[in-house]
Amino acid sequence: MNNVAQLFFDAASLGGIYAMAALGIALIFGVMNLVNFAHGDYIAVCVFALIVPSSEAVAVMFLGHAPAVVLIPMLLGIGALLAMASEYVVFRHFRRADPVAMMIASFALGFVIQNGLLAVYGGRPKAISLWPDLNTPVAIAGASVPLLQVIVIVATLVVVCSLALLLKKTRIGLEMRAAAENFTMARLLGVRANVVITGAFALSGALAAAVAMIMVTQTGVADVRMGGQIMLVAFIATVIGGMGSLPGAVAAGFLIGAVSVLLQAFLPLDARPFRDAFLYTFVIVSLLLRPQGLFASNTSKPRV
Amino acid sequence: MSKLGVFDVSVRYGKVPALNDVSLHVEEGERVFISGPNGAGKSSLLGAISGAVSTSHGRIEMDGDILSGRPPEAIARLGLSMVPEGREIFGALTVEENLRVGVGIRRDKQAIESDISDIYDAFSILGERRHANAGALSGGQQQMLAIGRGLMTNPKLMMVDEPSLGLAPNIVDQVYETLVALQEERGLTLLIVEQSSARAARVGGRMILLRGGAVVGDGDAAEFAQQDLLKEAYFGGSQKETAQ
Repeated sequence: MNNVAQLFFDAASLGGIYAMAALGIALIFGVMNLVNFAHGDYIAVCVFALIVPSSEAVAVMFLGHAPAVVLIPMLLGIGALLAMASEYVVFRHFRRADPVAMMIASFALGFVIQNGLLAVYGGRPKAISLWPDLNTPVAIAGASVPLLQVIVIVATLVVVCSLALLLKKTRIGLEMRAAAENFTMARLLGVRANVVITGAFALSGALAAAVAMIMVTQTGVADVRMGGQIMLVAFIATVIGGMGSLPGAVAAGFLIGAVSVLLQAFLPLDARPFRDAFLYTFVIVSLLLRPQGLFASNTSKPRV
Repeated sequence: MSKLGVFDVSVRYGKVPALNDVSLHVEEGERVFISGPNGAGKSSLLGAISGAVSTSHGRIEMDGDILSGRPPEAIARLGLSMVPEGREIFGALTVEENLRVGVGIRRDKQAIESDISDIYDAFSILGERRHANAGALSGGQQQMLAIGRGLMTNPKLMMVDEPSLGLAPNIVDQVYETLVALQEERGLTLLIVEQSSARAARVGGRMILLRGGAVVGDGDAAEFAQQDLLKEAYFGGSQKETAQ
């Protein structure tokens, strides 16, 4: 029983991080068919914003000093601003371009951001301790769970629910959903393309900041390349979920987290170092069975 | 001054010309049909007016405002509404959400609500299914929804691209009855793409005939229905016109 509860919390918290990262990618893909590979680097920037810019090995807290009530909104804002700025500076000029050209532009932007961080902070990973108290275990359902895991799960639920509410109940949410389905038609009805796209980037950037806070608390490390790994998993989650489908991105994020945790727990010891090979085999099988994704977004095409 | 003026407008897709120096005028409150064979440039013309397609040459004006070069959302704000070919309704949104997408450009909150209930009165099936996904509606219901949605921006000029496409004849009758009633009620100006001159003649109005990206005829729809001009445009003058 203890083990089951433990596994559940591990899977749900890892899946929650993946789900939030995948949501950030799916939101942008939905409105402008862009797979934004710079998303992982937004996460890295948000992490580095916590510390004083320097290439010293020891990290000195900068924003990280602020109390949580100030820090959280500030970091969410930084993520949103960064994503909006990248849209304004880069992606806006690719609106009419091929999706592949846009995707390559996002790779390029990612490298620019990464090298910018490298120049300012140096290449060595730094130890950061943000909210270390959150790693103290608490006993829930007979399992000993770090408080952070519980917070991650709750935070994911809050983020997913508030995003769903925003999309369902607000004017901008309605416009985003309409634009995601048929951008030209939405514009013909007076929906402003710039407002919708900027809004989607802001949300996506804020999601990146949320992921950053969770990752840094969990791992205690700031690394210039930290965005790459999570970006890969998140991208795979959006593909498995059905490109552009937000419920699909969330579900697939949790699914990958769960499979990953289960493999870690039940693979024979000798095979555990190769867990990712098994994980990606699962990804291949899932795509072979449902190439359109778990939640294909084209099921809602109008009938003739 | 005409309601809508199109002056020497050309549209090309890459090197392929779709419209060549097309000029036409639509007067306030008028009902004008655009007809012609496939590839004549009907949808390109509507696309150019609505801003969805960019023009390579020429000028388009509505009420003296220049439309060409403006994005579609700006043109919608000037009072032009588009009901596109194939309806293009938002299938994952509910019926009511579809209607509300276009109200973002309006500030008259009470009028918006009464417009929505007017549409539910006119199309009772939409009212019954207001919370259902629009993708689950039948073709005719989707056409009604597309027209209702086009009205929700409170347009002065509404363009309807092939409203009869893929619909049973009795449903087409219903669609046109609705369009004519709405026009009379609201003083709308209507620009409708309709392949069938017989249909256009029955509804009544002016007809502009396009062929090969140019205007080849302009006159009363009833006359066109009788003339061979239309058949000639379609088939080079030999075959019988098919009911579409």
